[in-house]
Amino acid sequence: MRRSRPAVRIATAAILVGVGFIFIFPLYYLIATSLKTKADLFAAVPSIVPVDPTIQPYVSVLFERGFGGLLFNSIVTGLSATALAIALAFAICYPITRLPASPRLRGFVLNWALSLRFLPPVAVVIPYFAIVRTIGLYDQLPALVLVYTIFNLPLAIWMLRGFLDEIPLEIEEAALVDGASRWYAFRMILLPLSRTAILAVAIIVFAFDWAEFLFAFILTATPKAMTFPVGVQGLVTQFEIIWNDMAAGGVIAIMIPLALMLIARRHVMTGLTFGVIREK
Amino acid sequence: MSAASAQPVAIAARIRTSWTARSRQERLVYRLLVPVFGTVFVIAMIPFVLAVIQAVTSDAGTFVGGDNFAKALRNPLLYESIKQTAIYAAIALPTEILVGLGIALLVHRVIRSNALRAAIYVAAMIPIVIPQIAVGVVFRLVYAPDYGILNVLLGQTGPNQPLWLSNPVLAMVATASVDIWQWTPFVYLILFAGLQTVPHESVEAAQVDGAGGWTQFRHIELPYLRPLLLLVVFFRIADVLRVFDHVYVLTGGGPGTTTQFFSLYLYRIGFKFSDLGQAAALAVIVMVTMSLFYTLISRFLPTEQR
Repeated sequence: MRRSRPAVRIATAAILVGVGFIFIFPLYYLIATSLKTKADLFAAVPSIVPVDPTIQPYVSVLFERGFGGLLFNSIVTGLSATALAIALAFAICYPITRLPASPRLRGFVLNWALSLRFLPPVAVVIPYFAIVRTIGLYDQLPALVLVYTIFNLPLAIWMLRGFLDEIPLEIEEAALVDGASRWYAFRMILLPLSRTAILAVAIIVFAFDWAEFLFAFILTATPKAMTFPVGVQGLVTQFEIIWNDMAAGGVIAIMIPLALMLIARRHVMTGLTFGVIREK
Repeated sequence: MSAASAQPVAIAARIRTSWTARSRQERLVYRLLVPVFGTVFVIAMIPFVLAVIQAVTSDAGTFVGGDNFAKALRNPLLYESIKQTAIYAAIALPTEILVGLGIALLVHRVIRSNALRAAIYVAAMIPIVIPQIAVGVVFRLVYAPDYGILNVLLGQTGPNQPLWLSNPVLAMVATASVDIWQWTPFVYLILFAGLQTVPHESVEAAQVDGAGGWTQFRHIELPYLRPLLLLVVFFRIADVLRVFDHVYVLTGGGPGTTTQFFSLYLYRIGFKFSDLGQAAALAVIVMVTMSLFYTLISRFLPTEQR
């Protein structure tokens, strides 16, 4: 391939730096604000760099406002819903990838899962609200676990299906020919081989559970079951906004998915596009 | 019995065992799949059935037929919200696709360093993985009057500063710009991945023939990107209908109803006006519309469904 002329390369660099600035600066300002003192908030013109950096806003959000409890709710809900979604996705993907399922059956399962992705959650939340109230789970974590499991199952099925398709059938078949039971071949061969796949799916699904807002907003009412994003929303919509606390809440909400996604970065796009974009 | 006649029998027996083995495996498919998938299918379908039931009954539980649908469709605010959603999409989607495509082509053609490409890949993923609520917080700090950094950078902090979140036109621009900020990198990543699948040979042959940058894009790269562009449009249209979190945090649907997009409107009908019947009717309308939309378009998607 031919190399570009220096002028083109400089122009490219300028464009990328400009675009990069637009993308990074708002995040920088969020972090900067989260480190500002109360006094800093009353400056006539807000400073771009915190004058006297402090972690007080984080202490205020997590302990004084009790968001530590919401953080705990988010983590418990996310972990439970992720574990459930993966177990169900595995049970559904195993027969359609490891056994001679008919293409029609396989197509039906996958297509159905994909179609759920295109429903706006707000349409589903109305019946869910009625269900959750009827069975007495309103404002309780199990309601969120149930809804999150169902809602992220399509993603888990599609991602796991992609991974399982890549593990050659021959390895298990060799064990079966040697007289191993299907359960044994699953437990001793397929499961260990899928460890990376499970971890990748778990990370992506957990990050989605973590970020979910609408269901948690409608299906919970008190800090007993509220998740972290609902709390952060409360910091923004209250009458007088405490900027540094709000920013600290935002930073905490971002840190967890960001850290997870950096670990699973090769699988993020696969997950978001239902396997169309494969890892590079 | 001679060896010659025994052989076909043995073959037939072998075929029969492999046939029964296969059908046993096929039965196993159903034995494993039906209990789990069946349960999940039923649980996931309950909301759909329930939405229909809620839509045709009153709060007291009496059958009201199409009343809720009529009420939902007669509400002028519904059309207002659809119009505003369409404007939002008309601002955000073309910008995301053009800018995403432009940067993908730029990086693809100019940047050769793998390390730099990998760095851009990771950087582009950052906005995508940020929870939408947090994105709302980020842009509250950008657009808010008096404290927002945008007006500070523009040197407009006085009493006449632009009110990004409470002027009708600016609020639309502000909410759409957040969408652009978060999802242009998504478009970039998909299209950049698509460009990697274009064979070097075709590109080089075209360049030898003297094809310029545009011809190269139009006749060689675009055909490879077309299915991915369709995927992007499809995903983004579905996503515009779910836009809720960042708008709720930024404008709450205001000023007036100028940023009350479809999801916010449905939320408002159901939970602010507590008209769950009308909201359920709307939910059914969306479910049916999206199912039709999905059925029409899904076969053109590049997802491998078999």
